[in-house]
Amino acid sequence: MCKVAVSGINAVDNPGPGLGVIKGIKDKYEKTAIVGLAYDAMEPGVYMDWLIDKVYIMPYPSEGEEPFINRLLYIKETAGLDAAIPTLDAELPLFIANSDKLKNCGIATFLPTKEQFKLRSKDKVSELAEDIGLKVPESFTVVSYEDLTSAINEIGFPVMIKGIFYKAYKAFNYQEATSYFNKIVSEWGYPVIVQKVVSGEEMNVVGVGDGEGSHFGMVGIKKLWVTSLGKIWTGVTVKHEKMLEAAEIFVEKYKWRGAFELECIVSGDDVYLIEINPRFPAWVYFSVGVGINLPARLLDAALGKEPDRTSDYEAGKLYIRFTDDFVTDMGTFQKIVTRGER
Amino acid sequence: MSRLNRLAISEEGFIFDPETGNSFTVNKTGLFIINMLKEGKDVEDIVEALTEEFEVDREEAMRDVTDFLEQLRFMGLIDKTEDDNV
Repeated sequence: MCKVAVSGINAVDNPGPGLGVIKGIKDKYEKTAIVGLAYDAMEPGVYMDWLIDKVYIMPYPSEGEEPFINRLLYIKETAGLDAAIPTLDAELPLFIANSDKLKNCGIATFLPTKEQFKLRSKDKVSELAEDIGLKVPESFTVVSYEDLTSAINEIGFPVMIKGIFYKAYKAFNYQEATSYFNKIVSEWGYPVIVQKVVSGEEMNVVGVGDGEGSHFGMVGIKKLWVTSLGKIWTGVTVKHEKMLEAAEIFVEKYKWRGAFELECIVSGDDVYLIEINPRFPAWVYFSVGVGINLPARLLDAALGKEPDRTSDYEAGKLYIRFTDDFVTDMGTFQKIVTRGER
Repeated sequence: MSRLNRLAISEEGFIFDPETGNSFTVNKTGLFIINMLKEGKDVEDIVEALTEEFEVDREEAMRDVTDFLEQLRFMGLIDKTEDDNV
């Protein structure tokens, strides 16, 4: 029986992709044992023992590479891991930098390379979008208040203020723009991206690149309903030719390896590329539900098996997220808090 | 494929566009007109068919078809080629 570690089991209002990944794997490989990697004792996945067999609290990636990797190796020793599927942005650089080391220790991954990971930086998106036939909203890379003001004068309000890797805020006036600029700089440093707000419909593509220019399936969706945090709550599968073609060119041209999500805004015949995520999105179970089990295919690829490559899904399938609840006793919480594992 | 032909249309008049993800509902007359457009019929054919199928005179049928085509154009469901044909 195979054992797979999956992170992002924080199934809260801003959910991680972990549970969707786990459900996908379990759909295909019912007997796979799942090890949940959590960062907090309160993450709901910690308590979902019908999906996750063992749970370990991980050190935050910001604590450094050594404690993080040592913890993974400890889990390998105690739980016997075969593969790991990281799903959170902040931990990806650590997994990518140590993928060979993990492989040598018997933990398989299927991740983008360091160079591919860098493509997601928002100052590179313009170039990449052009390469794959998409547009990007007018944007400026700024490092000072002076740059910020001149970029805003050029673009006009409202404007998006974005960190180069994380965070994006919509500002409607100079005060808001300056406050978001300061917030991003204090948290993530320079530079900051100032971008025109493009109105249109939000469409995304999720897929898994094979690292050789092809892919193990992809699915296009349109967001129908999002939460106040911008997280998808209801969506529908679409076959938007231009967007899917761009995603094909993306994996071909950059030989993308591993999971990815392209976030686009479609306005009439124009498709704008907003962001590239080098991981599965939280709604990845949608792909499983329409017959393209991307998490299981990624696991197959990590374990050296040839995954299915079909992308034959039906447009018009609906995705509905819902909240649920259950009651348990304090035992698990105590274990997690005192031992860091359950 | 033309925009109209890619639409998934149910018997109840629910229309789904698989490329944009947009959905619409149309009444019985709208469904009748859309199906005729998909068959490649022009405005004259449709007006003629409407007067035969429903209790409506030619003038009213022409007005309804023109209005409906305008709606389809507005919603981006008729592309340039189809626009020229109808």
